[in-house]
Amino acid sequence: MSRRVRFGLVMTLALNAASARAADPVVLFGGRVTLGGEVNLTLAPEDEGYFNDNGYQNNTLRRARLSLAAGLRAGDHLAVVTQILSDNLAAPRVYALYLRVRPWKERTFDIQAGRIPPVFGAFAREGYGPDRPLVGYPLAYQYLTSLRPDAVPASVDGLLAMRGRGWRNQYPIGSPAPANGVPLVDGDRWDTGIQVRVGSEPLEASAAVTQGTLSYPRVSDNNDGKQISGRLAWRPLIGLVVGVSGARGSFFSTLVQQAVGGASGSAQTAWGLDLEYSRGYWLFRAEAVGSAWDVPVVKPPLLHGPVRALGLEGEARYKFAPGLYVAARLDHLGFSTVEGSAGPMSWDAPVWRVEGGVGYSVRRDLLFKLVYQHNWKDGGPLRSHGSLAAQLLFWL
Amino acid sequence: MPAPLPLHLLAVTALVGTGGAQVRVAPALASSSSIRGRVELRRVSPPVEPRVAVSELGMPAPRDLPDRRRSVVYLETAPRGAFEDAERPRATLDQRNQTFVPYVLAVVVGTTVDFPNNDRTYHNVFSFSKARRFDLGRYGRGESKSIRFDEPGVVRVFCEIHSHMSAFVLVFAHRYFAVTDAEGRYHIDDVPPGTYTVVAWTDGEAREARAVRVPEGGGPVELDFAPN
Repeated sequence: MSRRVRFGLVMTLALNAASARAADPVVLFGGRVTLGGEVNLTLAPEDEGYFNDNGYQNNTLRRARLSLAAGLRAGDHLAVVTQILSDNLAAPRVYALYLRVRPWKERTFDIQAGRIPPVFGAFAREGYGPDRPLVGYPLAYQYLTSLRPDAVPASVDGLLAMRGRGWRNQYPIGSPAPANGVPLVDGDRWDTGIQVRVGSEPLEASAAVTQGTLSYPRVSDNNDGKQISGRLAWRPLIGLVVGVSGARGSFFSTLVQQAVGGASGSAQTAWGLDLEYSRGYWLFRAEAVGSAWDVPVVKPPLLHGPVRALGLEGEARYKFAPGLYVAARLDHLGFSTVEGSAGPMSWDAPVWRVEGGVGYSVRRDLLFKLVYQHNWKDGGPLRSHGSLAAQLLFWL
Repeated sequence: MPAPLPLHLLAVTALVGTGGAQVRVAPALASSSSIRGRVELRRVSPPVEPRVAVSELGMPAPRDLPDRRRSVVYLETAPRGAFEDAERPRATLDQRNQTFVPYVLAVVVGTTVDFPNNDRTYHNVFSFSKARRFDLGRYGRGESKSIRFDEPGVVRVFCEIHSHMSAFVLVFAHRYFAVTDAEGRYHIDDVPPGTYTVVAWTDGEAREARAVRVPEGGGPVELDFAPN
């Protein structure tokens, strides 16, 4: 016995056990029901230039978001998926609610119907906070242009008068109330309709028919026009995804279309190109979104063709230690030129955005981000604004 | 200072790896014994599900399910010499069909674990556990990266890309442990005589601890567990 000295083993199994199962979704009824959730607290100084507004008094850098997701699976062919979220403790809204059907178990052919994820582009399907290294949204998915689906200017001069004022503007035709404009693609609301997805690798094709448009997703139709959208994704090698998207739908409300008395056009037409490549500790993403709206202007100076916008962004993330990364994004949103009484001018104020920062995962389910974002735009009351923003993200 | 390591223990070979791994010591101690038995699990946790795939355009890809019936049985206290092995073995935690294989890997301190990717997709193995915090980055099929585990403890391993992928690496400061086989059987060989606390660990929890006495005369000791 003298050769054997007992040692208290330096095992911390029991202590670790409590946290070992953290971050797993809650599973009920033998795996048929899965629940997940996310708490997302984002803090930043007041955004006096409204650069990060994506709705009336809704700023993506000043927000407390709670979300709850649930998946109910009935066999291999059927599932119901939903996500409910509340911003700043407001009444919860249904972000997603749809039926997912896979007719043939072994074939990658799926149908989804209800309030569905967009097939267009890539950013809007990065559903969870950890998928996004930074805090702000790309401009194409968030920045409010001066266009509204429920009101239009009478002339090009009326449109130019609201240049750089997308957070709150007013037009004489349609709804008379001041309201915010819309982004090229709404990154925070999903449309309602039906979609199909065929294939996965190396080629995946998806298409959808929905009630609203990219800029203005809806639950119920407001203009008797549907949107058709589609995306083709190609994965030529592991880690690389290239996507091409397109969409066209009726944008302006029936109220506007009746008010302009048959002035031609009311559609939003968009195209997108997205790219993602990752390898080792690097992740690169780039996305281009172009959109054109047929704005029914009725008085001179008239529009000669649709107004257009182009969003370009590229971001990179590099993990330089376990749980610690740096990330940055360059972003630009430009607008086509129209001819007003005072001469040619872009119909909305071009915007540039730079955002960079760090993220640190304390645990797998707890991520802290700190970024600095600076915005510039060529119009509106405040043309330059920069601030720090912090985000705390807890999920399961 | 620990007592000098007996020469015969320098020849220890820890066999760790896929399923049912056990510790084998050669040559055997003349007076040593083995502790063996069975861990009968009354409940097995369901597999970890992926986060609800709200933004997916269809059903998630099919995947293998991890074998969560495996337990690890180990001595909570161990003889002094057990802590002094010079062996620096290797083990493998594979990635196949969106699953880590095995689900539970038990190794001794100093073991280098290889994480080959034998899947069709990227994986990014990482852990934020106190015992070993690491991130291997993203790598594809046919590539492998490795990590050495130098501290004892429980290391829960995840994939950054696939939220349902997880595994446990239990890192022991001694070699007196075994992973159960498919029937729940285990045996810990070459245990010197003495009284020990033996623990059955399953799926993130030390479920049951029992005292056992290994007699001076040697011979196997039977010890079964039936954790709740």
